[in-house]
Order: sequence, then C-alpha cells, then structure tokens
Amino acid sequence: MYDFAKFTSKSSHNMDMETSTAPAAPTGAAMPGGAGAAPASPAALAGLRVLDLCGGYEQYAGKLFAQLGAEVILVEPVDGSRIRREGPFLHDRPHREHSLAFAYFNQGKRGICVDLDTADGQALLRRLAAGADLLISGEAGGVMQARGLGAEAFRAVQPGLVTTNISLFGETGPYAHYQGDDLVAMALGGLLYLGGYPGQAPTVAHGQQGVLAAAQFAAVAALVAVWDVEGQPPGAREGQHLDVSVQESVAMALENSAQFVELENTVRKRDAGGQRQAGTGVFACRDGLVYLMAGGIASNRFWAGTVQWLVEEGAPGAASLGEPQWNDASYLATDEAKRIFMDVFAPFAATRTKAELYAEGQRRRLPICPVSTVADLPQSRQLQHRGYFGNSTAHPFSGSAFAIPGAPYGLSATPWQAGRPAPRLGEHTSEVLAALGVDVGEQAVLLRAGAIA
Amino acid sequence: MNAADNMPRLPLAGVRIADFTWIGAGSYTTKILADFGADVVKIESSGRIDTLRDARPFKDGVRGVNRSGYFADRNSSKRSITLDLKHPQGQELVRRLIAGSDVVSNNFTPGVMERFGLGYEAVRAIRPDIVYLAMSMAGQTGPEAQYLGYGLTMGAVTGLQGLCGLPEREPAGTGTNYPDHVPNPSHAAFAVLAALRHRRRTGQGQCIDLAQIEPTVSLLGPALLDFTANGRVANRSGNDHVAAAPHGVYPTQGTDRWIALGAETQEAWRALVEVLQAPALQADPRFGTPAARWQHRAALDAALAPLTAGHEGYALMQALQARGVPAGVVQDASDVLLRDPQLAARGHWVYLDHPEMGRSVYNALPVALSRTPSRPHRPAPLLGQHTDEVLAERLGLDADAIAALRADGALS
Repeated sequence: MYDFAKFTSKSSHNMDMETSTAPAAPTGAAMPGGAGAAPASPAALAGLRVLDLCGGYEQYAGKLFAQLGAEVILVEPVDGSRIRREGPFLHDRPHREHSLAFAYFNQGKRGICVDLDTADGQALLRRLAAGADLLISGEAGGVMQARGLGAEAFRAVQPGLVTTNISLFGETGPYAHYQGDDLVAMALGGLLYLGGYPGQAPTVAHGQQGVLAAAQFAAVAALVAVWDVEGQPPGAREGQHLDVSVQESVAMALENSAQFVELENTVRKRDAGGQRQAGTGVFACRDGLVYLMAGGIASNRFWAGTVQWLVEEGAPGAASLGEPQWNDASYLATDEAKRIFMDVFAPFAATRTKAELYAEGQRRRLPICPVSTVADLPQSRQLQHRGYFGNSTAHPFSGSAFAIPGAPYGLSATPWQAGRPAPRLGEHTSEVLAALGVDVGEQAVLLRAGAIA
Repeated sequence: MNAADNMPRLPLAGVRIADFTWIGAGSYTTKILADFGADVVKIESSGRIDTLRDARPFKDGVRGVNRSGYFADRNSSKRSITLDLKHPQGQELVRRLIAGSDVVSNNFTPGVMERFGLGYEAVRAIRPDIVYLAMSMAGQTGPEAQYLGYGLTMGAVTGLQGLCGLPEREPAGTGTNYPDHVPNPSHAAFAVLAALRHRRRTGQGQCIDLAQIEPTVSLLGPALLDFTANGRVANRSGNDHVAAAPHGVYPTQGTDRWIALGAETQEAWRALVEVLQAPALQADPRFGTPAARWQHRAALDAALAPLTAGHEGYALMQALQARGVPAGVVQDASDVLLRDPQLAARGHWVYLDHPEMGRSVYNALPVALSRTPSRPHRPAPLLGQHTDEVLAERLGLDADAIAALRADGALS
C-alpha cells in the first residue's frame, strides 16, 4: 500500500531543467515567487489522499482539493495529459511543458506518469488506490472498467474508496458513448443556444465552462461522499461511485429556461447585442464597456436611482425617464424604450471611464460594473485588497514566474494555499513508486517497458 | 406524501443549516446541500421577501409568492419559516435556531447580518463552532466591500462576459446570470463541506468569506496566465477555441437550428465528408490534412455550412455519431426538457408535487451516486410553510406558544 503520509512533508520542486528526481527538500523551503511556503495554519482537507486521473479541464476538481490541503497525485499517461497539448503556451512556444492551462489546473499536485493501458500500469494504480480516499477520473463510460480499474476493482483493496468519474454524458443512457468535447456538451446541454446574437450562430462560453462546471459539481459531490465515508466507523467504511455528467452540469446553468417552457410555454432565446430591457445591458463608455442593470431581477428597483443619477449629472433628456410609463416592465421591453434610454445614457457614459462609472454608480447603490478585460483584473483594487493575485507561481521547466489567480474563497481557520507548482512530466514518478515499495530495479524495468515515465 | 419518506439516508443527513440566503447564488448553494440531505431551514420574512419569489416564470403565468419556477428550482428540498428579526421574540427564536445549527449562510452585503445582530462574532457567541458562510459580491472587507451586483454584472466584472461572443460585436456573455448557477454555488458548497470536515476533526468552526467576484475569475485561469505570463489580452473568439478544423457551430434544417461538430482526425474528417456526401471536399487539397484544414478553416466553414443546412439536425447528429464524429444538436430549453433521451434516461429532470404549483420540474444534481442517491426530495417551500413544524421540532414549542408568538407578530 502506498503511504501518502510519508511524503506530506516532502517535495522536490527543483528549478534546474535537467532532472525530475532531485533529492526531496522540505516543503517549508522558500519557493521562487513565494508559492509553496509552509502553511502556518491547519488545512481543512489535511490527510485526504486523492488520485487525479483527469486529462483536461476536469483537473480543476483535483485543484480544489489540493489547495485546501489534500495530498493530490496527478496520474498522467507516459506522454502527458492531453491538456499539455492545449494552449495558451508560455512564451507562445507550444511544448508539453509550456501549457499554461496545465500549469494552472495542476498547481498544488504532484505528478506521476503511468500507462494505464498496460497490465503493469494497471497493477500500479490498484496499489496506489489501496492507500487513497478518492479517485477522480475523466473517461467515457466503460473505459475504466475495460482497464480493470472500475469502482468494483478497488472494493477488495480499499472498500472506503470514493471513485468519481466525469464524462460528457454520464456512464449510462443512449448518449453514454457519444463523442464530443466542451462545445458538443454545451450544445446538447442547452446553454450554447442562449449565448450570442439573434439571427447568428450561437457562441459558446469562453474557456470550457461546461467541463469546468462538471469539475466543480464533481468536487462538491466527491467531498460529500468523503464526508459520508469519514462519518462511518473506522474499519467498516464503505465508499461509493459517483458518475458525473457534463451535459447535466450544463443543464444546471439554464437559469429559469426549463421552467419558462414548463410554466409559460416560452422558449428563451439568446439576446446579446442589445439591451435585455431598457437600462440593462452592455454600454460603451470612454475607455471600454460597462454593464448596467437598472432593472434588477423581477423588478425595476434601481430605475429611480439610475434616473436620479442621470438627472443630477445633467444628462440631456434624463428627466423624461422618470415619467410613469418607465415603471411598467412591458414598456421597458420595447424597442422605443431601449432607444430612448440609449439616447440619454450613451452620451453620458461616453465622457466617463468605466472606473468612474463603477465607483459613482456603486456609491449610489446601483448594480453597474466594468466589463473587465483580463488586463483589468490584476488592477482591481478589491482583488488587490484580497490578495487574489498575491501569489506568483514558479514554472520550473522554464525558470519563469508569473502571477496566478489565488484563493477563490477565504477560510478563516484553514486558509487556501497555493501549494507547489504544477508537476513536470513524470516529476514524482520515482519517489511515489519508491514509497509504494517498487524498488529501483523494478522501476527501471517499468520505465524501459514504457509502463511509466 | 413526500418523496423524502421513501428515500435512503442521504449523505448530508444530520447537517443543519440556518439559511439567510436569497435570490441567486446563495439559494443555489443551499439547494445543493439540501438535495444532498442537509436540513436547510430558509429563514424568511414577509416584510422582506426573496425577490425571486416575484420573478417569472409563474405557474400558468399568474404572479404569486408561491408560484415562481425560478424561485422553486433554487429552493428544492428546503423548509421555510418566517420570522420578524426586528421583533424581540423573533430575535430570540432565531438565536435559538442558530444554537442548534451547524452552518449559518447568507449572501448579503457586509453589515446586513450585523444589523440583525447576526454577524460572525455574534453568531459565534451563540454557537462557538459554527461554520459561517458569508458570500457577498466583493467580500467582507476592502474598498469595494459594499458594492452590489447580480450574476449578470458579476459575469461582466470578472471578465467572463468580455470573453464570450464575436470579436467585432459587443460581448455576449452566456446570456444568463452564469456566476449564480455554477461558480459561486459550487465553490461555496465545497468550502462549507471542507469547513465541516475540519470541524468534525478538530471541533473548530470558522468563517468563510466568499467574494462572488472570485470563483468566476478562477475559472478563467488560462486566459489570465496568458496575460500575466505572455502579456496577451485575450479577446472574444466566437466558437474558435480549439486548434483544429472543422470545429464549430453549423446550420441545419429549420429556423434557428444548429449543430456543433468537430472533425480533427483524418478518420473523423473522412467520415464527415461521407455523411455529408461531399466528395469534392474529400479531394480538395486545401482540406487534406489537419494543418491544411486549419490554415483554410474559413473556406472550410463556408463550404460546410450549405451542406449541413440541408440536413435535419438530429438525423445528422446520429449519422455522425454512428461514425464516431463528435456532434451535438444545439438544443433549446424545450429540447433539453422534453425531447432529450439522455437527460430522460439519467433522470435529470425531477417532478415534485408542489402545494400551489402542482407537479413541477426541478434540476437534479448532475451526479449519480451509487450508494446514496441524492436528488431533490421536497418541492420548494411555500413562504413560511414550515414555521410551526420547525419551531415545534427544533425548539420544542407547543401550539399555544406558537399561536401566541404569531399573535404578537414575531412570526411574520
């Protein structure tokens, strides 16, 4: 059985580009850029041992576990996770050690390379799983079973193991074996249809949000299952298998669309490129775009405040927006109302920056904000206050360091921790196998045979 | 009879949540926990009604605080009580409820809970090991802590909106309040579960400060790193996200009907042109290899669109999938709810009998659990539906005591 605990105080993130098997150094050693410093606080998920077999954006689930303190080992094929071949690439140089997506989604994890399509690799994984609490995979239904690595394969060696598989359509049902990717799942899940402009092909959300949605729900469900297992008496713990569908995760994001069909027999359409209703939508300003929501949800509770702002600032025509018809939601939905509002608001916004509109609108308790670019985010004074970009990650292969998004939540007693940089290809294979009791001779055989890397 | 009566023990059974969340992300967070079996008591007030109770769509199109489908889907498996927190006895009741709770949750701007006397320090005085979830837009401290927003504005300020759509048009976003439905509820639920685990191991509670502008930014990591490491400011790119061609959305028969497909490999490409019966494309040297197709992708898309437009979408999807080509109809909400055989087979849509709305639809969690299946098991609560039940069960109050409290206005 692999003893994860043996390595909880060790790491080997050396900066040289030669080798991935340098002697282990204490985690407390200062990391370039400040990442990986010894945690001063306890970790919420301390002691939890996770095997992450995912190859794409599903890896976000393991990242959530790692950065609250679980010991996460990424298990890659010998030629690396497929995400290593996805951009953007550091310095615009496509290379399997340059994927910024890989660097991001695997921060905080160790990494080993095992060919799970070989009998030796499968045997290694079963031995690793015997010492794990959670295994997360991202395969189509049946793939893990065909490798002899389905949930039932682990029951004898680790009955308390929670296995979680993320697939596009789930492991059962008529589409279980459909081919696809994020775009296809966003299409069949219904969210793609809502994105984009009337009269043109729908446009999908940026950045594989469907796969990421499944990764997030998988992480939540897996932690629920771990909670359940840990609540059982030691020695009699029973895990279970979780089957997560990207398509269903996308359907969770349809807002009220299904209910509009059911209750009002109405199919919601995409509506970008104009105001959703008068006063709600994207507007140009002096240095970019802002989003104003003068209508709020289910009421136009911010209308009066918006009009008062425009009147006080002397916007021509603003006073007319206070007339009674503007309290009528059906009027706000008309093209006339949208045009009149635009005629008043556009010249007002054109002379002001997004930062000015954000600050003054919010001072007036109105839901307005900039449409941020990625360049704006590190400049956000609120994110700076929260230290969100305060972490810099080392990139051991290149020797670079760059700012990286930080804690998505603050936990007062058990803070989020950045953890080690994403592993280099096979960086921890040898140390993990050694701890598993695979001696150097056997490792050499496996390496030569291509079962590990 | 509630479906709950026939359910096996759910994995979060025994976890008690005093829930002050409302509207979007907060309510969706506690829906997840409730569907997994936590006992979520939604603390409402008839003087400050959750605005989603007044949001379309309504059952039969008729407005009413117990008729909104938008509200219902976000509040499955919960119980509702009404209390007047400004009433001294309402205050006393809520403090006693909190004393018996594991989690207190809210998504107000900072200061609101404090004005109710229910800030973290005050709650900790009542229940020292409480897990306290605060999920305001911008976090509990900082220059913008008092700022307010909704999912739509948060999608914009986090950068997601600006990255979705066509580069030459204004940003399209997702068309929804996306941060409310996935990033914020799932991160909040994960943090609560982690904090509960820590408490079970150490006895220590804590305060979770989730700023709703952060999880969505965290999902944009690759684009952010492209800026911090490479200096590139990513722009919208339509459906052009994958370094492969063809890959995108193409028209099919009918009005506003589309199919998403991709054919990266040579095998998939050959299968695609055979299904589309387009031998000319097969022979065209511009499209002969993955690199050539990428180089000529605009011409490729222009050649494919008229071909796909002649096919019925589902038939084309099935023909392509039969050949192993990734393809999916761009389904609208009606397709997803009423037509999709996969979601039906998975039991994604759960129908529950609501006291006022009748049989109505709810999203199930997007995960099948083998040993502890977890699904919405109660319809959304009527406003204050469980006031008497919860006060009797949790605080041991009898009918006379409850009637007296009601007569005094503490339960409004």
